[in-house]
Amino acid sequence: MAIPSRTPGYLPSALRVFDLSVGEMLWSRRTIFMGLIVGAPVLIAIVLRLLDTLGLPVFQVNGMQVAGPTVFGMMIWFFYLRFTIPVLGVFYGTSLIADEVEDKTITYLFTRPVPKGAVLLGKYLAYMACTVFVVLPSVVIVYLCVVPMRGSLGGSFLDLLKDLTLLVIGLAVYGAVFAVIGARFKRPLLVGLIFIFGWEQVALAFPGYLKRFTVAYYLQALVPHAMPNDNIVSLIQSFFRENPTLPEALFWLFAIMLGFLWIAAVSVERKEYVLEQ
Amino acid sequence: MTKRTRYFMAVSAGIMVVGLGSGLVAFYGGGFPSLSASRSGPSELSYVPADSAVVAFANVREVMDSQLRQRIKQAFPDERGQKEFQERTGIDIERDIDYIVAAMTTPGAGGLKSNPNGLVVARGRFNVTQLETLAREHGGVVEEYKGKRLVKGSDGNGDRAHSVALAFLEPGLVGIGSEAAIKSAIDAQLTAHSITANNEMMELITGFEAGNAWAVGRFDAIVGQANLPVEVTSRIPPIKTFAVMTHIDGGLSGTLRAETRDDPSAENLRQVVQGLLALGRMSNDPKATALLNSLQLSGSGRTVSLAFSVPSEVFDLLPGIRKEMGGGRLPEQLPKELKQLHESK
Repeated sequence: MAIPSRTPGYLPSALRVFDLSVGEMLWSRRTIFMGLIVGAPVLIAIVLRLLDTLGLPVFQVNGMQVAGPTVFGMMIWFFYLRFTIPVLGVFYGTSLIADEVEDKTITYLFTRPVPKGAVLLGKYLAYMACTVFVVLPSVVIVYLCVVPMRGSLGGSFLDLLKDLTLLVIGLAVYGAVFAVIGARFKRPLLVGLIFIFGWEQVALAFPGYLKRFTVAYYLQALVPHAMPNDNIVSLIQSFFRENPTLPEALFWLFAIMLGFLWIAAVSVERKEYVLEQ
Repeated sequence: MTKRTRYFMAVSAGIMVVGLGSGLVAFYGGGFPSLSASRSGPSELSYVPADSAVVAFANVREVMDSQLRQRIKQAFPDERGQKEFQERTGIDIERDIDYIVAAMTTPGAGGLKSNPNGLVVARGRFNVTQLETLAREHGGVVEEYKGKRLVKGSDGNGDRAHSVALAFLEPGLVGIGSEAAIKSAIDAQLTAHSITANNEMMELITGFEAGNAWAVGRFDAIVGQANLPVEVTSRIPPIKTFAVMTHIDGGLSGTLRAETRDDPSAENLRQVVQGLLALGRMSNDPKATALLNSLQLSGSGRTVSLAFSVPSEVFDLLPGIRKEMGGGRLPEQLPKELKQLHESK
């Protein structure tokens, strides 16, 4: 008598794929690149702390001493929010399925009795685990090094929690967006880079409703620190900045994340991946 | 998940737990003062409550020993206020005090309208027994508050509700102020919830290493205590914080820095100050011109900065000092305008 086979559910399937993928993703060559990106602000923080301990005026702007919490906020803004999070989202998000296609191993995943969408979800969860366990510790190390300089750990603790939450949300949303790009476009990395360094910058600079079609617009509304003007583009953006309210920003960020994840899952379900010979 | 992956995640999680745990302990426990690299300001700032609106510091020893102070003392020998203070507290400002840290917190339930929880912490040499005896002679009551000895006086009307208190905080450190302020100071030091945990104020305080007197704080607190009429307060520029630093030696130099709420307000304030300076220069008064020439206006963004440097020769023009000097020959270094003033008289 044949035993009826039961395919595992959606979530258990996703978790199985997650378990399989997290190690592959963490020890891939991409992680070396991620390590360099998140290691740079840590190195800078350690060097600045050493120089400050030696009594050198490292935190002077226009002759005024700048406190550690202010520098921490600037580092979160410049290094993490404007660069690390979008770039990691592009490099990892676009490769969730694309890497399997390129390595011609996607067949092995799709022949398993698991929903194809669960494969994408499992890969996405693996991406979140890899990036969160690399990026967040680096933020904490920067916090411990930089904030105590003319500041207090306790005074900036709530800002740290907000920053960590903000970065996790940013990784999640950008990852979902680029998962769709990875699932649907032929050159997803190029499209992703154009999106973050082209479309988002331009849309934020112009007045009107275009900025609502970016992730950065909602993400920047969550930043607890004052947003500095680092170049002409951000200066222009600051003129037209109309921040959404916190509930609105959170709502749209979660809507974007869930919506794009759903689109990515449906795309993977319906698309026929032709492996190049 | 391989073992290597699990170890990596465990190490990452450990780093986050350590960091977040440190932050949490600092948040609830009041901080790790020993971890603060290159802390600015005197260590007595740990007695200033975190919610203080204005904080000031004065190196009394340097100020008292300065040439300017000696000149003023010779010209105006009557120091009634100093003597009264010594009679009431037994502290000779001239000799006993090295430096002071003063603070003003926002008026609370126990604060006086004219002196809302003011506090002065003085470092120097104090005879505790003598001070206590003197305080008791004036009707003071001694009590202990969290291990610190407190002497509570009255305000002269026998009203203890608005009394001044003197506390012996540490050997060589006394606190003077309202009872509520003194108790807040002791609490701040014990719980480490002092002004050093207030990032906004500490940012103002840092950078004032060169001066022998400075004051920083929220401008609205000053305006609120000045009891100005509404017609005046409505015209005051929207200044958020201020910072003043002076260095007193032979002359008086320093910087006055104000931060406004936004860039346009700062620009307006700079223009107002420039206009006032120009108006002053039009007055054709050499004394005023000499003073105004020493003022340098600068600043960008939301900051307006005014640097001043008043040489000691300007103080020679003060009537009392001129009389003391016998009206003789003026110093060679005197600016031309001041010499002309002398010659015209």
